Amino acid sequence: MITNQIRKLRFEGGEMTQQELADRIGVTRQTINAIELGKYFPSLEAAFKIAAVFNLSIEAVFHFSEN
Amino acid sequence: MSFREKISWISLLSMSIIYGIYFWSVATVAPQNSGVHFGALLTTVISLAFVQVALITGAALFSPKEAKAPLDEREKLIELRSTRIAYAGLASGIATACLLGTLDPPVVYNSNGLLFILVTVELLRSASQIIQYRRSA
Repeated sequence: MITNQIRKLRFEGGEMTQQELADRIGVTRQTINAIELGKYFPSLEAAFKIAAVFNLSIEAVFHFSEN
Repeated sequence: MSFREKISWISLLSMSIIYGIYFWSVATVAPQNSGVHFGALLTTVISLAFVQVALITGAALFSPKEAKAPLDEREKLIELRSTRIAYAGLASGIATACLLGTLDPPVVYNSNGLLFILVTVELLRSASQIIQYRRSA
């Protein structure tokens, strides 16, 4: 299972909205919402772009567990 | 609701209603009266094009930014999955039509049967898109 810290990072990063993050990585706001809720797992390219927005490594944003 | 989901709803509802009226008229008119069938089909196609263009233009006016944006990766995946499901429906429908064709039905029923399969498959594709958009909302 893949979980992520995007919602937390958005609020820590100056209350960034889903729309702002979506515009920066080139997807829709609904896709960001689906990623945050764990209903859609982004491509590797999108995951790297999201991590780059927060100036973090991909492992700091996305976590994988076997459970 | 995203712009793409609205498009799927417009497609599903407009095709259900307009082609529903057409197929109802086909079922209630004698198969020999091919002139009536052709006129009804022409009216259906023009009506559908007019209604869909009007509704999609209206939806685009409410969310111009989304309307101009290309599909993102999640939307492309939803389109691909829906097309795959619809293809399975199309293959099954064509196989059924081939079997029923051996019963030698009137030409009007045969051609309308194929049209019915195409419309049903398109409805299946739109419905599948809506379900996937709702699931990931």
